Amino acid sequence: MKRASPKPRILVVDDEPSVLATYRMILQQKGYDPVAAISSAEARGVIERERLDLLLCDLSLEEKNTGFEVIEYARRIQPSLPSVLLTGYATKDIAEKAAQNRIVVLFKPIDIEEFLTTIAAQLRSGHEQQQAQEESRGGKSAIVS
Amino acid sequence: MATPEMRVQAKMERVPPRGERKPGTLRRQATLRLLAAERSVEIYPVLLEEIVALGFPRGLTLGIDFETGEVAPSAALNCTRKFQQQFRTSLYAAEDPIVGVVHSEEPAVLPGIGAEGHSLYVHPIVYRNRNLCWEADRDHRTDCLAIENYRRTRKLQLQDQVCSICDMRAYAAVVLVDLTGNETERDMMDLRALIEIANRYLSRIFRTEHHYNRMTDMEITIRQMQTVMQSMADPVILTDAHHRVIMQNKAAERFFKLPEEVSEGRVRAVELNNLLFSAALSSMAVSGTETSRDLTLVDAIEGEEMLFEAVCAPTYSREGLRTGMVTVMRDVTDLRRADEEVRANLEKLRAAEEVVRQDRDRLNLIIENVGDPIVVSDRAAKVVLQDPLAHELFGAEAENDEVRDPIRVRNQAKLDAYLTTFTFSFSDRESGPLRLFHPISRTEIEYDARSGKIYDERGQVAFCVTVLRDLTALRKVEQLKVERRMLEIEKFAATGRLAGTIAHEVNNPMEAIKNAIYLLSDKLTGEASPIYDILKNETERVARIVRQMLGLYRNTDQIGTVDVNSVIEDTVLLFSRQLERNGIRMNTELSKLPPAVGSADQLRQVLSNLVVNAKDSMQEGGRLTVRTKHLPAPDGIHGWIRVLIADTGSGIPENLLLSIFEPFVTTKGEKGTGLGLWIVKGIIENHAGRIRVRSKPGRGTVFKIDLPVVR
Repeated sequence: MKRASPKPRILVVDDEPSVLATYRMILQQKGYDPVAAISSAEARGVIERERLDLLLCDLSLEEKNTGFEVIEYARRIQPSLPSVLLTGYATKDIAEKAAQNRIVVLFKPIDIEEFLTTIAAQLRSGHEQQQAQEESRGGKSAIVS
Repeated sequence: MATPEMRVQAKMERVPPRGERKPGTLRRQATLRLLAAERSVEIYPVLLEEIVALGFPRGLTLGIDFETGEVAPSAALNCTRKFQQQFRTSLYAAEDPIVGVVHSEEPAVLPGIGAEGHSLYVHPIVYRNRNLCWEADRDHRTDCLAIENYRRTRKLQLQDQVCSICDMRAYAAVVLVDLTGNETERDMMDLRALIEIANRYLSRIFRTEHHYNRMTDMEITIRQMQTVMQSMADPVILTDAHHRVIMQNKAAERFFKLPEEVSEGRVRAVELNNLLFSAALSSMAVSGTETSRDLTLVDAIEGEEMLFEAVCAPTYSREGLRTGMVTVMRDVTDLRRADEEVRANLEKLRAAEEVVRQDRDRLNLIIENVGDPIVVSDRAAKVVLQDPLAHELFGAEAENDEVRDPIRVRNQAKLDAYLTTFTFSFSDRESGPLRLFHPISRTEIEYDARSGKIYDERGQVAFCVTVLRDLTALRKVEQLKVERRMLEIEKFAATGRLAGTIAHEVNNPMEAIKNAIYLLSDKLTGEASPIYDILKNETERVARIVRQMLGLYRNTDQIGTVDVNSVIEDTVLLFSRQLERNGIRMNTELSKLPPAVGSADQLRQVLSNLVVNAKDSMQEGGRLTVRTKHLPAPDGIHGWIRVLIADTGSGIPENLLLSIFEPFVTTKGEKGTGLGLWIVKGIIENHAGRIRVRSKPGRGTVFKIDLPVVR
């Protein structure tokens, strides 16, 4: 039975309301199911409540909270959650740290085409990973059944 | 002296027998005959004839030569040669009886030595006279030899018979008469008287002859003197008491005597010369003390004016009266001219010496004020000269080593080592570092020793001059430069940070605007479409500028020494993927480099801007070369690090080449911000470097960056 595929659930985190709003609208327009969070606290709430397909997170959030912390927090619940870090600070340190944590970095101002292709690619890889996990689980049950 | 003729003549005389003669007549006759003799030599033969006339058989005379002491026959009558020769003897033969008689100066009869065993009458005669000679008479003196011999006041040896007044040398002779033994006392007295008379006449004649001889001698002397005078090249003039010219030589005649063919001018010249001369003589005679004076005379033949120094000496008579003057003129024209020349040369020499002295003083002043220690060493690398500053560093060689500062000794040792190396090297010039301790401040000072060789005319090293340049000040300036440069870099970084902050602040609203524009793209009516395009393009442009400015914000690292090679390696590694993807082959040739001073991040930005530009210019692929090289400066202190970045891309159009480093100039059209190379240039200039570009459209572009090396 082909499972009805729901719209991918994407959490967008940015402390700038207008930026957050435009990201959410673009994602909606492109047929995703975005959920927006204006702060890390709000993001954590969403992460705790919902299962996500992708996390888009600004690096510098309110006060001293960073995007890395939010991603780290989300991966404690969903270890293989694809995450993209959005930032205006294009430094070597950030790039290295992101690469270590399998986080894709997009430097602002972000080219929207690149933004969309990156999201699509991340979703696909996350989906493939999930399927692989499910198949291995299903395989086990088949053997059992 | 008797000649043979005389003897023959005498023999021919007829001599009446002794008994027939009358004594008085004979004597008078004999006296007259003797008186007739004009010369001394004529006396002896006459005397001998008269002796024979007195009745004596024979007689002879012996002459005495005072020079040789020889006593030899001078005249003889009725004597055989053999008889004559037996009397030949010498004044010094004391044993000879005749010689004894001569010394006694008294007549004597010597028995048995005459002819046929006869006795011999021996009568010595010597110059003597009752009257004073003329000179003695004139000088009122009584010690005339003639008188002395006559009066027998002073007994003189025969050898010393010389007149103290007239210098006349006396004669001496001996008359020998053979006696038959029949002579009476009267005969003997007659004989003696006869000989005495003959001697008196002989003395007179002899004196006259002496004066004649003296006159002859004087004439010879005068001739000689005249010859001497004439042969003198200088004019010599003899004048009398009235300054009238008595005698002058040829050289003087040239000035004072009218020549044969005379022109009026010459006459006047001679007259003037004479006038001047007598005036000079008069004034010198009057002054008495002056013996020389300068006199300008005109040469009567050449018409040339000549300068003389006239030296006068008065002449005196025997009585001490002034009889005239002898003037010798010395031509000093040439001498004066030479003197003037010498004087002029001396002046020139003095002037030259003055110039040399001034030069030396100036040089000394320069050396003293150079402010750097200067040392001069010889061919053996031994220090021969040092200025006060060098003296301070090394001390004097002459100083006692015990009191010499050990620091100075050490400095000296270092200097000696350096000098020896240089002096015996083949190079003319050399410079090298010399680290010395300052004896007073006790700090190490780095000197740059610069040396040059001075060669002698044989091309061998004569001296080496070494100037020590204190590099402390230079180093300080260098340090200041570095510090200022760092400040500039820091300022640039600060500006970058500010720009970055602004860009970041602009970035978020930009993000929203960009997203909003994207969202609007579907909801456009036809009219709004071109407006939308402008909005979209301009927003993208602002986005690019912001991105560029955000890049500057990354420069937060420390400023210090930078290894340019590793900056290049980092950058190349960062872009290697992209380059590979664009089909660009990477070629890096990195040589060993000294460190540069500056910001590694800023230099990384330079590199990445240039690499990105190169990549963008090679859309169809190509080759990117990055090469580094160390260019040492000739002085060994500074130098450059050269970084060459060459691509084989599209190149820069010629019209843009000059303005490529200005802001907002780009070859990438809409895609470029025109800020990349401007930032590159700013960074390089802040690092005190220089950047140059060479490009050919279609062939490629080469950027050459030089960064200063700081030691």
